[in-house]
Amino acid sequence: MRHHRIAGWSLLDSPLHRRDARAKLLATLLFLLALALAPQSSALAAVPFALVLLAALFFARLPLLPLLLRSASVLPFSIVFALIEWASGHGPHGGALLAKSYVSALAVLLLAASTPMPSLLHAMESLGVPRAFVLIAQSLFRYLFVIAEVAQRMRLASLCRGGTSPLRPSAGFRASAGSLAVLFARSQQRAHGIHMAMLSRGFHGSLPLAVRPRFRPSDAGFLAAACALGAALYLSVTLR
Amino acid sequence: MHIPDNFLSPPVWLALDAISLPLVGWVARRSFRDSDHTATPRLGVMGAFVFAAQMINFPVGAGTSAHLLGGALLVSILGPTATVLVMTTIVAMQAFVFQDGGVLALGANVFNMALAGVVAAALALRAFRRFPSAALFLAGAVSVLASAFLALAELLASGVHMPPALLWASIGLFAVSAVVEGAITLAVVRAVSRLNSRWLSLPSQAGRGPLAAFSLAALLMAVAAFFVASSQPDGLQTLAARFHISSQPILPAPLAGYSMSLAGPPWLGRASAALAGLLLAAAACLALGRFLARRRSA
Repeated sequence: MRHHRIAGWSLLDSPLHRRDARAKLLATLLFLLALALAPQSSALAAVPFALVLLAALFFARLPLLPLLLRSASVLPFSIVFALIEWASGHGPHGGALLAKSYVSALAVLLLAASTPMPSLLHAMESLGVPRAFVLIAQSLFRYLFVIAEVAQRMRLASLCRGGTSPLRPSAGFRASAGSLAVLFARSQQRAHGIHMAMLSRGFHGSLPLAVRPRFRPSDAGFLAAACALGAALYLSVTLR
Repeated sequence: MHIPDNFLSPPVWLALDAISLPLVGWVARRSFRDSDHTATPRLGVMGAFVFAAQMINFPVGAGTSAHLLGGALLVSILGPTATVLVMTTIVAMQAFVFQDGGVLALGANVFNMALAGVVAAALALRAFRRFPSAALFLAGAVSVLASAFLALAELLASGVHMPPALLWASIGLFAVSAVVEGAITLAVVRAVSRLNSRWLSLPSQAGRGPLAAFSLAALLMAVAAFFVASSQPDGLQTLAARFHISSQPILPAPLAGYSMSLAGPPWLGRASAALAGLLLAAAACLALGRFLARRRSA
């Protein structure tokens, strides 16, 4: 599955990967805030932000092209609205929407690709996200690929039996509903099994991290630099 | 329906972040105050199921296919409270990991899909619980309609331009996807109940159906009002001009011209006026309801 790739990228090693997840999360939020408050009048406002992101990508030693392509998943939505703006005579505004939404998506992808999921969730919890969400997200992310694989296999099996060309569309509709119900039953069974296994291993409401994260002076320095850079970017595009 | 970052104007996303994130946090803390979190991972697996379920295509005729969105299905399996938690986690996961929807716009997306959509589905299930098939179909349909109309209204309130023809086209698209979601929800819940009906947690016979129907109607009207207020901010004035009513107000209105006289660009005033007007109307309705309920019980 394609989503495995983000998990793979997040386990690489680089100066950016080594920073504390809390510092990276806050820096990303600051970056998004500065970009969102920048003027909406022209696409040029997004250029300095994009340059900073490209530099960060370079430091993170992540593959450039796959990341640029992945964050293009925001483009269908943006292009439709940019075209509407352009057709109604607000071309520059449409261009700004397109550029800014793409740069925002790239910034969030950079966070996800340089931070393993457990550390990111731990950072969110220490920044005030309720425990319930963290627990749900942990098991959701862990079993997403398992259940998606089951769904993939079922889809393949139905294709092998001619599932795409039913004689009547309603029969195909009911067949899909039936396979979703079976998928649900299997997920339910698996959820029950996982729950029992976790309880028998002494689970009492929180998953421990393998390495206790520490907020080092270098992380504080990184965060301070991100604050300064965010303010500088914002001022550079608003004062022009 | 996932709104990316930078499409909403700062007042709109800030207001929706400030409303919906504390609200879902409160739901999470309240529902897990007494328990010790050991059952929570099962909710995560259900969330993974909804994610994976979107890979199974449903033929809807004319060579096209659709997939489940899942809000109403989760309500009929987990009940509304747990569904709010699971849907919020799904929306946040889509924003942070899959770049589907913005991070600053998370409050807006959570409000549309994890709060309004789920509440609409739960109310529909409760209001029509005597007719289970109709209730399931309606639950799927109204959850999609509520989310989609709110998303569109937020975009319009943010000053995104949209010609009327396109507006009608997207409303038609919403209607089609609402019907499809209703049909898929009904078909899947029927298939699940054939496997094991104990997996479902539909509202039981005892309950307050009329109240739920009334609340559902109120919710849908609020969504529609927000939509109309943000797409045609001068609708009343047009009406007044058409019927030659004097444009001089009898009473000085606090939200005159549907825009607050704040310093700043015009869309800011319009968006905050729309939000403030809605909040005022909701507060007035709530106060009236309280008053009537007290008088009836006294």
